[in-house]
Amino acid sequence: MAAISSVFLFFILFLVSLLIILAFIVRPRSVKIPIKSRHVFITGGSSGIGLALAHRAVSEGAKVSILARSTENLAEAKRSIQLATGVEVATFSADVRDYDAVSKAVDESGPIDVLIVNQGVFIGKELEKQSPEEVKFMIDVNLVGSFNVIKAALPAMKAREGRGPASISLVSSQAGQAGIYGYTAYSASKFGLQGLAQALQQEVISDDIHVTLLFPPDTDTPGFEEELKKRPELTSIIAASSGSMKTNEVAKICFDGIKAGKFTVTCHFIGFLLSIASTGMSPQGSFWLALIEVMFGGLIRLASLVFQWQWYKTIEKWSQKNK
Amino acid sequence: MAAISPFFLLFLIPIVPLSILAILALIVRPRPIKIPIKSRHVFITGGSSGIGLALAHRAAAEGARVSILARSAGKLEEAKKEIQLATGVEVATFSADVRDYDAVSKAIDESGPIDVLIVNQGVFTAKELVKHSPEDVKFTIDVNLVGSFNVIKAALPAMKARKDRGPASISLVSSQAGQVGVYGYAAYSASKFGLQGLAQALQQEVIADDIHVTLIFPPDTNTPGFEEEQKSRPEVTAIIAASSGSMETEEVARKAMDGIKAGKFTVSCNFEGFLLSLATTGMSPQRSFWLAFLEVITAGPIRLIALFFQWDWYKAIEKWSKTKTK
Repeated sequence: MAAISSVFLFFILFLVSLLIILAFIVRPRSVKIPIKSRHVFITGGSSGIGLALAHRAVSEGAKVSILARSTENLAEAKRSIQLATGVEVATFSADVRDYDAVSKAVDESGPIDVLIVNQGVFIGKELEKQSPEEVKFMIDVNLVGSFNVIKAALPAMKAREGRGPASISLVSSQAGQAGIYGYTAYSASKFGLQGLAQALQQEVISDDIHVTLLFPPDTDTPGFEEELKKRPELTSIIAASSGSMKTNEVAKICFDGIKAGKFTVTCHFIGFLLSIASTGMSPQGSFWLALIEVMFGGLIRLASLVFQWQWYKTIEKWSQKNK
Repeated sequence: MAAISPFFLLFLIPIVPLSILAILALIVRPRPIKIPIKSRHVFITGGSSGIGLALAHRAAAEGARVSILARSAGKLEEAKKEIQLATGVEVATFSADVRDYDAVSKAIDESGPIDVLIVNQGVFTAKELVKHSPEDVKFTIDVNLVGSFNVIKAALPAMKARKDRGPASISLVSSQAGQVGVYGYAAYSASKFGLQGLAQALQQEVIADDIHVTLIFPPDTNTPGFEEEQKSRPEVTAIIAASSGSMETEEVARKAMDGIKAGKFTVSCNFEGFLLSLATTGMSPQRSFWLAFLEVITAGPIRLIALFFQWDWYKAIEKWSKTKTK
């Protein structure tokens, strides 16, 4: 009995010391990002997650600008937000692949406090069946396009004096945490955002700018409906490990994460586990989450190996059937 | 009764790790594989200099039929001469820009079905994102990431169609900057992180064709490209990159080739690289149950170490930016 209670005591002492160390060392420190009366700029803001985020930002009292390609979609989005909230958002039409057009739009909109880089395209298809143009399209829009938007917004964001902490959020995907069958190009473009975010945070921390990566699962947007019809069977089987969510739910959780100044934002429990599994060299601003990462890292690696086992067995079974 | 409890605990201690090891031995996928090199066709992009050239030397020395692809015909000739002098072997050379899918496709068709594809071309400039031109960012991502897709897409059909030629390999030369984003490397890290997403998804797509994907993670390596880069890299980048040190090209090529032959998914080149790989294994597959075991038991402590490094880096950044604003 004495042996067990002393082991228990030792364990508690160990946890507390670990927590204290982590509280001391976690960087960068988490910062709250205010929304009310601040300028929120959302790319891909005319539909899907972007539109839902625009709705949320408006209802929290922000000045909102949305950027997208189609002027029609933008006008409709503007109407739907006006109807729901009475507020008028500014709309800008540009293709994120065009740096000059993006730069012009960002300048016109004025200095940005909260930038949400959300535009994204996805086509699920085996690499062999995908055309080189489709691959280039996804990487150009999702990754290079994100660089264009951030580069265009940065100078004015850095130059804002006394306007409080700024935020640059990137909407990634669970496919940006685990590469899966049928998503070579999409996963590549979203994994790229992780590299961008980690490096960028180091570069802009001294300007009080805080980077956030958002990791939604399959979300029932118009884009997703289209994609579901065409994506490979195996992709759907593997993605089912995580399930799907409603757009408004995703937008609410993402927006809360941006306001909390987190580096990594997940949308449901499986997403949370996936984030711990794939935390890698991401910074962690919360010492509680850091404690969870350290205590459960091993167990979660074990769980992800079990998932890999299931996925590869499924692939083996499916390909034998289809030979 | 009281005397039994501690002995029971003592007995329990080895049972837990042994059970984990046994479970892992059963479940790790894909299963381990060896990739033979002798008499097989090895195709290396960016093969006229740096790590690519060193890999070509190794492959030739191990009896492979080697093809190298690069942009400059002049450098290709020089590389060919160098390899002939050192090993007596004549390599095939192909001039193409990896951003041009048709040119790459033509070169790959001409070279014949590939057994071991090494996607190694890469460009890098270290510069803060505000100072980086949009064209330069696009260039980095186009060559390092889109270019890699072009090469793999061009080679895949023939690789899949090979019959009874043994296990094939697609290797991607990434970088430690593809495991951790570093100040000054936003575009470069983005392009290299992208390779991880590509590799994880690709392995699932090609495992049924006996094709095995490998990611290689060199640290700073003493190549001509690196010498250029060092002249202009930001001070903070150099401070942070020093955490891992640098290596000689031949050493990196040796480690890389050994890793490719061992059919590993993740290949690191030095001890710090090995620790970094453990920290960033994420959702990578692990084909060795011993390494899987190591990953599971060290994940926690290594995350703690990673957080210490972040603390160190962010303090360095804070200190450095204070000196700049004075």
